[in-house]
Amino acid sequence: MSSASRGSPDHGTSAEADLARRSVAMHSDPRFIELKRRLRIFIFPMSAAFLAWYLLYVLMSAYARDFMATVLFGQVNVALLFGLLQFVTTFGIAILYSRYAGARLDPLSEKLRDELNNGSGPGPAPAGGASPAPAPTDGDTAAPTDSSAPRADDEKGRGA
Amino acid sequence: MNLAAEAAPTNGNPIITMSLFLVLVAATLGITIWASRRTKTATDFYAGGRGFSGVQNGLAIGGDYMSAASFLGIAGIIALYGYDGFLYSIGFLVAWLVALLLVAELLRNSGRFTMADVVSYRMRQRPVRTAAAFSTITVSIFYLLAQMVGAGALIALLLGIQPDETFLGLTAEQAKMATIVLVGILMIVYVTFGGMKGTTWVQIVKAVLLMAGAGLLTVLVLAHYGFNFGELLADASQRSGQGGAFLEPGLRYGVESDDALATLWSKLDLVSLGVALVLGTAGLPHILIRFYTVPTAKAARTSVNWAIALIGTFYLLTLVLGFGAAAIVGSDAIKTQDAAGNTAAPQLAQAIGGLLGGDTLGAVMLAFIASVAFATILAVVAGLTLASSSSLAHDFYANVVRKGQASEQQEVRVARFSALGIGAVSIVLAVFAQSLNVAFLVALAFAVAASANLPALLLSLFWRRFNTAGAVAGIYGGLIAAVGLVFFSPVVSGKVDPATGDSLSLFTAGVDFAWFPLENPGLVSIPFGFLCAVVGTLMSKEHDEEKHAVLEVRSITGAGAH
Repeated sequence: MSSASRGSPDHGTSAEADLARRSVAMHSDPRFIELKRRLRIFIFPMSAAFLAWYLLYVLMSAYARDFMATVLFGQVNVALLFGLLQFVTTFGIAILYSRYAGARLDPLSEKLRDELNNGSGPGPAPAGGASPAPAPTDGDTAAPTDSSAPRADDEKGRGA
Repeated sequence: MNLAAEAAPTNGNPIITMSLFLVLVAATLGITIWASRRTKTATDFYAGGRGFSGVQNGLAIGGDYMSAASFLGIAGIIALYGYDGFLYSIGFLVAWLVALLLVAELLRNSGRFTMADVVSYRMRQRPVRTAAAFSTITVSIFYLLAQMVGAGALIALLLGIQPDETFLGLTAEQAKMATIVLVGILMIVYVTFGGMKGTTWVQIVKAVLLMAGAGLLTVLVLAHYGFNFGELLADASQRSGQGGAFLEPGLRYGVESDDALATLWSKLDLVSLGVALVLGTAGLPHILIRFYTVPTAKAARTSVNWAIALIGTFYLLTLVLGFGAAAIVGSDAIKTQDAAGNTAAPQLAQAIGGLLGGDTLGAVMLAFIASVAFATILAVVAGLTLASSSSLAHDFYANVVRKGQASEQQEVRVARFSALGIGAVSIVLAVFAQSLNVAFLVALAFAVAASANLPALLLSLFWRRFNTAGAVAGIYGGLIAAVGLVFFSPVVSGKVDPATGDSLSLFTAGVDFAWFPLENPGLVSIPFGFLCAVVGTLMSKEHDEEKHAVLEVRSITGAGAH
């Protein structure tokens, strides 16, 4: 928000160019590679899983009518239960992702973002000074000693 | 009394209904005036100053997303066809996981005002932004028409104007027309003066009203059945005359008939609809621009979580409303009022109010639910108008026509005029498109969003090799495939009611140039959109490794986010 309001940053003011240079350097930083890996290892398999699970529901609604019509108890049949389970898994995945992101993604991405925005970032030379430091920018987590595996945010990561 | 309420057509007290409408319109205009004083910069106009909290934005997303098609359409389908309406709800809800996991945060981190900001980031600006603006406006106009046509039909019904009567000197046809024009003018005013701030607050108010209205109706329906959901289901299936089949898939979509080929197409159509619903949401421009209204990616995540909670709860409520309408109002009374079932929820409100407190309470409940429906439509059309005018001004005017040289003031001025222009065009189109089926227009919007926008958006975020040729080919390819296949489908021509011989298509009976058997193009057009994007990419050597690195770092870390 802060840097947005004036002018058009797409036109390469010198601050923008600086940030772009730092970003290119950051792209091969092991911590960024780790962050990217953590993000993708969650979102890709999880997306494949919920899409497959949803597609199974749609296909069964079309092609497994007899099974879907099986009455389980009272008026509740498999179709209704299966539909409600789609709600449960959707809520569940949202909660799971938010917890995962709060614990495994946010602390690291906040750290890298601060480095990039403040210009102390991981260019070949200053990198030595930045990485072994005990996470000075990691303001709101309690006291994680190892910034790569903080669990302190677990409670905060709760879904809606 | 019970039977009388069922037999009589929905006939609210026009004075109560009109008063509530006026209060609503006055409140939203008040919000607009308030917001217009606080809208100065481009960030204010396009993104509400990025000052909304995750919760506020979550409510606004709910208000933006739950259209009249959700509230009235799904309840109506459930009331008439039982279980099949639930298929829609599930597709509309699960779709939010695509937005949550793959799109919301990365888009928030790397874009500014529109979808094209992200798609065009590492590409040649002009061709990509032109394509993105074109598809954004196409999707939004289809969706706008659906809402406006729906509003016209609905208001005429809800005001209880019979074909031979007049209301304030208007016939039913004139009232429809007047409603379309009024809705159009209101949305132009909200967006032109209130920008994103005004639009957001209108959507928040609507979301609260909608949840309150649906929640109240649900409690009353459940109370009527002693909070025994099983009894409600039993009553609904018994009264529907369909028995157990009413609680199973297959009465509306994927219908089985003696004709094996017809059954095959019908089932594929169901799968196609399901795919378009789940992949369309994350490509809807009016949804995507909402992620820019919060300060951080984390707030964008929170807002999607709130939206999922809200939208999920709402669809569970529509399940009760739909089955409640089937059980309490009955499908005959619903079909008499509106063959598509769109008035099931308002009719249910009248009936349940009548059961509890006589005709007066029935009329009050009807008026209340009618105004909730009206608010629903207003909030959605405002979001759509904003999305299309943002894209026209920011993507097309500022970056294509002016090549990035426009000042912020010029850009916002163009955005305001765009809202006026798009609103005026929509009013004219909606007046001419009054006979179009609303559900078809919404499904088409979802199909175009999934076929044209989603491939470009996902590949620009996740595929290193993706380039200008790929983005342009993907957007136009998906767009042309979706619209073209619908044009040659039974929706447009060649579908005839076997019993009466009347046309069920856009064109009159006798005109038949349909060769594509499915009514929903998604199953073909979405893979085709992705295919075009991939082939287009591979046919061009263009690749900017540096910009790809910058986009990836920015989208994941949020460095330099606007």
